[in-house]
Amino acid sequence: MLDISKLEHRWLKYKIKSILPYAAILAVIIISIITFSFLMFNKTTTIPMVTSKKEDLKVKTPVPVPSINDENSMLLEPSMQFLQSMSGSTPLVESVPTTPVPVVPIKRSLPLAQVQAQTDTVPPIVKPPQVPVVKGKLTSIKRDDAAFDIHELEERFKNNSNPNLGLYIARYHYDHANYTESYNYALKTNGINATMDESWLIFAKSLVKLGKEDQAKKTLQLYISNSNSQNAKNYLNTLTKEYSK
Amino acid sequence: MEPSLFSKPRDLFTDVVNPRDYVQIDSVSHMYQSLKTSVQKPLKMILLYGRPGTGKSMLLHKLHHDLSKHQKVCMIDIPIIDEDDFLRVLAQKVYSYASREALTLTRFLELSSAVNFPVIPIVLLDEAQLYSAALMEKIRLISDARALKFVITLHKTDNEDIIAKEHFQTRIWESIELQNASHEELKIYIQKKLLKANCFDVANMINEKNIKLISKLTRGNYRESNKLMFALFSLYAWYEEHNPSKIKYNSLSTKYIEMAAIHTGLINA
Repeated sequence: MLDISKLEHRWLKYKIKSILPYAAILAVIIISIITFSFLMFNKTTTIPMVTSKKEDLKVKTPVPVPSINDENSMLLEPSMQFLQSMSGSTPLVESVPTTPVPVVPIKRSLPLAQVQAQTDTVPPIVKPPQVPVVKGKLTSIKRDDAAFDIHELEERFKNNSNPNLGLYIARYHYDHANYTESYNYALKTNGINATMDESWLIFAKSLVKLGKEDQAKKTLQLYISNSNSQNAKNYLNTLTKEYSK
Repeated sequence: MEPSLFSKPRDLFTDVVNPRDYVQIDSVSHMYQSLKTSVQKPLKMILLYGRPGTGKSMLLHKLHHDLSKHQKVCMIDIPIIDEDDFLRVLAQKVYSYASREALTLTRFLELSSAVNFPVIPIVLLDEAQLYSAALMEKIRLISDARALKFVITLHKTDNEDIIAKEHFQTRIWESIELQNASHEELKIYIQKKLLKANCFDVANMINEKNIKLISKLTRGNYRESNKLMFALFSLYAWYEEHNPSKIKYNSLSTKYIEMAAIHTGLINA
């Protein structure tokens, strides 16, 4: 006898346990990223801070009377040289000849005729040759066996007209890229039971695969108007986006 | 009260070996054909081995079911460990010789020579790893005398491999190894079982992701898969009765599969 509440509790514990290692790894990664970025930030910011402190200290030290012969004034020399070297190095960068980048005016919209003219000049997309799928011996046997079964199921569907079986066959054909068959069986299934979401979706998807996108859209619109199906709406949106590009 | 949608699928996966429930899967049916061909050959012993849950017992029962229409076939699915009992039961099953006394090997062989069959009778022994070395020696002598033909099944585990080597290596004329079901085979197995029983709506619920999870949990072990599916549909039947809003009819829930796996011990939680 199943103790559902206990089983749900055990499942929750298992889920937490199984997620815990991933969460721990994720936490370690996040912490290390934060630490690393913090250290890097500190490294870059501490250098100017140190120099500024030094400068501050220098400022704070009692300023001696400026004298050329004074030894303290010599302390400034390296920084002067540094400045000179900096200033000396800049022309090197500037001396590199740079080619002016041609400014291309961005056309916000093109007239349709112009777009078509442009697309005409674009070479057609060469589709890569379809590599025939080499099936292993075992796989091909499996397919034969399954094909035998599907005929048997089709016979059963003829006799009992069970919409669930019709949907199963339609889905099977769709999965095996037999889109004409999946279209036919989805159509038959819809005829028997017009409220099966998945059957309508397979029907529309098969139409798309057969190159009849408009018909698929119309079918979906019709079905949505009758059923208000969210799945159908989602698929119609996807289709509209995909084929309006 | 309306019967649950899931009670019929649940009952399909009860852990009972019944040749009528045999589901034809390519690799298994290929093995079965080889087994049938081997049985027709003048071999004395045929070994059917594989890891637990690979369908050895089912094949043996299927063989018994199919061959018994044409020839004398005896099935001993529960091992008879006692040597005297074994020969007595065998004599009763094959030659219909009832004896309360212990039967010696010599007496058994005399009996077999006295009874003539058009085809040598076949004895199917399940779980042969449980038989003692001495009893296996007697079985070998009976098969050597061509009194009976034996088809034996053996678990293939690391330890039992040693037993297999010791007892059978030099005596077996043909051996057939059964493998665990692949992901694809398990899918066909489950779908075919459901479709055979007209459970189309439940068959439609099973998607690729579900099968992958089931296959991962059971490692292609048919027995474990049956147990898991039984527990899963029991869960669904419970939810359908007590909390139907929790059921989604477009696919099997990963949560429920995992809960069923916890219940059957496939997941240690």
